Amino acid sequence: MTTTVVTRTKTEQEARNLRRRRRLAELLHKLLSYVLLVSILAIVVVPLMWAVAASFTPNEQVFKYVFPFSWRALFPSDPTLEAYVNLFEQRDFGRAIVNTLALSFGSVLIGLLISAMAGFAFAKFEFRGKNLLFVIVLITFMIPVEVIIIPLYILMRDWGWINTWYGLFIPGLANGLVIFMFRQFFADIPQEILDAARVDGASWPRILFQLIIPISLPAIISGALILFLGSWNSFFWPLVVAPAPEFRVVQVAVSLAVQSRQTIWNELMAGAILAAIVPVLLVFPFQRYYVRSIASTGIK
Amino acid sequence: MTKAEKWVPYFFLAPALLLIVFFRLLPAFSGFLESLYATSFAAGGVKTFVGLRNFQDVFADPVGLQSIWVTLRFNLIVNPLQIGLALLLALLVNQALRGIDFFRSIYLLPIAISLNVTAIIWGLVLNQYGLMNGLLRVLGLPAQPFLQSPNQALWSIIMMASWVGVAYWALFILAGLQGIPTELYEAAEIDGTGVMQRFMHITLPLLRKVLVFVLVADTVANFLLFVPVLILTSGGPQLSTNTLMFEAYRRGFIFGDFGTSSAMIMLLLGATLAIVAIEFWLLRTSD
Repeated sequence: MTTTVVTRTKTEQEARNLRRRRRLAELLHKLLSYVLLVSILAIVVVPLMWAVAASFTPNEQVFKYVFPFSWRALFPSDPTLEAYVNLFEQRDFGRAIVNTLALSFGSVLIGLLISAMAGFAFAKFEFRGKNLLFVIVLITFMIPVEVIIIPLYILMRDWGWINTWYGLFIPGLANGLVIFMFRQFFADIPQEILDAARVDGASWPRILFQLIIPISLPAIISGALILFLGSWNSFFWPLVVAPAPEFRVVQVAVSLAVQSRQTIWNELMAGAILAAIVPVLLVFPFQRYYVRSIASTGIK
Repeated sequence: MTKAEKWVPYFFLAPALLLIVFFRLLPAFSGFLESLYATSFAAGGVKTFVGLRNFQDVFADPVGLQSIWVTLRFNLIVNPLQIGLALLLALLVNQALRGIDFFRSIYLLPIAISLNVTAIIWGLVLNQYGLMNGLLRVLGLPAQPFLQSPNQALWSIIMMASWVGVAYWALFILAGLQGIPTELYEAAEIDGTGVMQRFMHITLPLLRKVLVFVLVADTVANFLLFVPVLILTSGGPQLSTNTLMFEAYRRGFIFGDFGTSSAMIMLLLGATLAIVAIEFWLLRTSD
């Protein structure tokens, strides 16, 4: 009898040891995960914090606390709006922002319309050439505009679209990613809804605009976000097709500053922050939609 | 379907297709034609058909050859690096940890910012007296030339591109991870398999589709990477960051040699397609 008691306590002891070891391993794993998470956080955030801080610092002091690095580099000691004031008063940044907003909102509205229509055709119809057309749409969205920039520029020149809103606006409207996303979303809408509406005598455009679109808010938010980011962040195409100052957009204004004002660091950073803040503020509240739409293109 | 109905899908597709035909396919086709012609400005812009001579010129020219070498080197490093790190990052943020949503949202920051602004900020970070050298100084390490050095400039661009790319591609992989049923892991744990075994036999096979997509899309993006080179180095110093994409831009826009420039673009597209095909073949599913 005594022997069984002893063995039982022995196995209990072993089990307790095993549990303790496992808990220790879990704790270590958690600790390591957080160390990694915080380190990556620093890699992402520190350059951006420095950029923000530099934009509020008088130009002579931009590198003062950076080399060698001290914490004060990330928190301006005597903050000034000098760089931002200069951008608006001397560099015409106000016009660049108005231009970019006009371009972006226009692209969102018309781009959504065009992409939703195309997505609807791919999701709910069978027609000759469907697969080939869909592959073309997919391929064109993987090829960045820089690749065809010279022939596209020549085309614009021949059409007289250089330094016009047409040239700035129209070639960027078709977005394969957004078409693809709408197709995925519409494909999940039950066919019976469409059939019922057809029986009631609704026309196809009416079905799309009054029946499908109103129940597709998530897809519309995702599509709007992708289109807005695409045109707010576009840089090389506006630089090439509309170099005149009255068509300047934010990304071009910031990037030209690199060449012309290499040593006015605080203005350079203020411009970068102005160009970055709008997309950042948009992505944050809507990140669920953004992430889902981006990720769905990889899985399906 | 009635006869009129047949035209309905084409009506819905028309605006998108017109845009794609005029502003994507047509320029791509005229770029292809351009690569077969030489333009003589001395003769008042007369074009002569030269067949494949522009392509031969790319390989005969040391600058052209150098740019092919730079492109290959850049891609052999940046693609495996970005995808490996993206996979690790996705696994890290896929854990059920307190506050993980906060970390995930912050990691989205580089994705929202345009590539040219990212390049501008990194240009200052890698400046002689910039943030990076300031941090090295604190650690007691010597300052580095980064973008000013032919040995370090390409690595600096790899670093900058990965600051954006790793977070971006991790997003796709994370979505893939979340699609794997947790029961699979639970069952495997009951069977007494280790972490590594579970990763090799459950995670990797089920991520295959996502990984193929990421690998292909990342390769295309990096072969055709342009804006960071334009802003940070313009191909220098000593052509050490002069990728084929950038050389095509220099030839076309700066030297006005559209023929060779287009030939380079065609080579780039051809190579990209070939590599995409090879990646698909390597990762083909056995079923």
